[in-house]
Amino acid sequence: MSEITIGIDIGSGAVKTVLFRGEQWLAKRVERIRRRDPLELARQGFDEVLEEAKLKEKDVSYTATTGEGENVKFATGHFYSMTTHARGGVYLNPEARAVVDIGALNGRAIYIDERGKVLSYKMTSQCASGSGQFLENIARYLGVAVEEIGTLSKTSKNPEKVSSICAVLAETDVINMVSRAIATPDILKGIHISMASRLVKLLKVTGITKGTVLLTGGLALDAGLLAALQEELVNEKISGLTAVSHPDSIHAGAIGAALWGAFRHRKLAELQSRAAA
Amino acid sequence: MSTKENRVTEIISRCSALFEDLEFGAVKKWKAAAPGRKAIGYMPVYVPHEIVHAAGMLPVGIFGGGDQLEVIQGDAYYQSYICRIPRSTVELGLTGRLDCLDGMLFPSTCDVIRNLSGMWQIMFKNKYVRYVDVPQDYDDAVGGQFYIHEMQQIREDLGKLAGRPVTDEALRASIVVYNAHRKAIRDLYAYRAAKPWQAPTAEVYLLLRAGCVLPPEEHTRLVHDYLAACETQQRPKRDNARVVVTGPFCEQPPLGLIKSIEMSGCYIVDDEFMLAFRWLMDEVEETGDPMQALSKAFLHRSAQSSSKYDARKEDKGRFLLHQVKSRGAEGVVFAAPSFCDPALLERPMLQEILARHKIPYTAFKYAENTGQMAPIREQAGTFADSIKLWSAA
Repeated sequence: MSEITIGIDIGSGAVKTVLFRGEQWLAKRVERIRRRDPLELARQGFDEVLEEAKLKEKDVSYTATTGEGENVKFATGHFYSMTTHARGGVYLNPEARAVVDIGALNGRAIYIDERGKVLSYKMTSQCASGSGQFLENIARYLGVAVEEIGTLSKTSKNPEKVSSICAVLAETDVINMVSRAIATPDILKGIHISMASRLVKLLKVTGITKGTVLLTGGLALDAGLLAALQEELVNEKISGLTAVSHPDSIHAGAIGAALWGAFRHRKLAELQSRAAA
Repeated sequence: MSTKENRVTEIISRCSALFEDLEFGAVKKWKAAAPGRKAIGYMPVYVPHEIVHAAGMLPVGIFGGGDQLEVIQGDAYYQSYICRIPRSTVELGLTGRLDCLDGMLFPSTCDVIRNLSGMWQIMFKNKYVRYVDVPQDYDDAVGGQFYIHEMQQIREDLGKLAGRPVTDEALRASIVVYNAHRKAIRDLYAYRAAKPWQAPTAEVYLLLRAGCVLPPEEHTRLVHDYLAACETQQRPKRDNARVVVTGPFCEQPPLGLIKSIEMSGCYIVDDEFMLAFRWLMDEVEETGDPMQALSKAFLHRSAQSSSKYDARKEDKGRFLLHQVKSRGAEGVVFAAPSFCDPALLERPMLQEILARHKIPYTAFKYAENTGQMAPIREQAGTFADSIKLWSAA
């Protein structure tokens, strides 16, 4: 029987939890943090996926955390989020040779091989202008629900240019656009283009030239961002790359953690039996 | 009254308070407990503490100002390409925080520390200041004689300062005290290597730093107490990578950096923090000529660090390899202070040796006041992952 592993990804905006039996995905949870204690949400997610899979805590062979989950007391081990997004990305899309993880606070491009091994990577700097939190702030200012952002952006006819350097400058740009009566879809599209332009730059630095780029993290399902990323790849004449998303992209980190947890469980057992022999 | 369960917390809280006290209250308290008591500061890496102790004085480790001291005056004394420890030490001195010390010993760590001894003589004319040279020849008849001469000078100087000569008997008694202290530190390191989840390095480090301001007898007891207390509570064991941290033998990293390495998935199973306490690697001969005994221990049974001369090329990296193998480490983290010539010049040589032995490593720099830990976490985290997921073992 394959081992039961749980992956917990504590992000800046949400806690994602998944449960696996070997490579078989049995349960998942996403809980927005909304000023609550992420460590408590991690425990809650852990209990809920066990309940959904009708399993007990003692059945779990390895609980792996990622993201900001270093302080989860009941974890067996912790993996860095780049490592887990890479593995989760290959699980969700075996063709993926790069993962663009864009969460609430930052974004990163990761060049990977078919095993999910990180070959190189590049992250955004401290500035939040390429992040989900920034987009959420703008949506609030525009009076748009987060879920509507992608759809509205895709209807844009004449996107407005937004600063891609700094979140503060970008917010000032948006305030000016509103006062100039620029249509909301054009503002949102402008922001998406600005974010996509940064992400494409990150991808270029990793050295990847061809293959599938899977969008993961909290913004992976933003259809407007995906469309903008695809357009930017064309504009930058990077014809070898195809940007895609996956309905479970938000779980990529947690999936990677659970799968690497299973790998470690087997490796530790092997080391132990080798030592005993 | 403390329970067994919170004894670890109690010990570490005390150590933390001693570590954070840049006014050296513990030293002042020790001096005030009996009239005429004197305290002698020493800088990293190593000085023969036994001589200070035998003179009836308290050896006080001065390991810079850490990340809580704002350096204002100290910066005026150094160019921008010099490490931070001399700046913060000058700041400690000029702001009167080291007034409780009656003298300072500056070991032969690097040019910067050596030159600081000269600056100290100019700045603090009423204090005893001594540069402690060490041999670069490990023959008893050559380097040994030189080192005994150096130690003899300190012995006579401290005897004058104390108002009574430092006798052989007193030195032998101090060697006994420090042998017990070294044994306790060796036990602490062995315990942590065996059960790193039970004795996190952030705690071990604070415990070591307490030894800078406490008498060795008291510090030995504290280390024993900590080890006993650790066994009374079971802490969760994590699937972490076992690493040796090398490089921080002089300027110390901020505590946050040590915590960051541990948080990112590494168990530190050996290191170069506070090497002064482990410089002599086993017991010093307790009978016979004490100066000969101290000299022989230095020449033949002392640790290796970038600041110590290696007489033979083939000895380079021997100590680091021993640390890795004896502690069952899976990788090495090179953490060197920015602008530390000894550590940074030796690093490529050590890395080449590790590569030859197929031991993975990563490297970064820090200053004692480094505040931004995200890049450290990222680097240590990816390093731990690469060991756990991709190493051949």
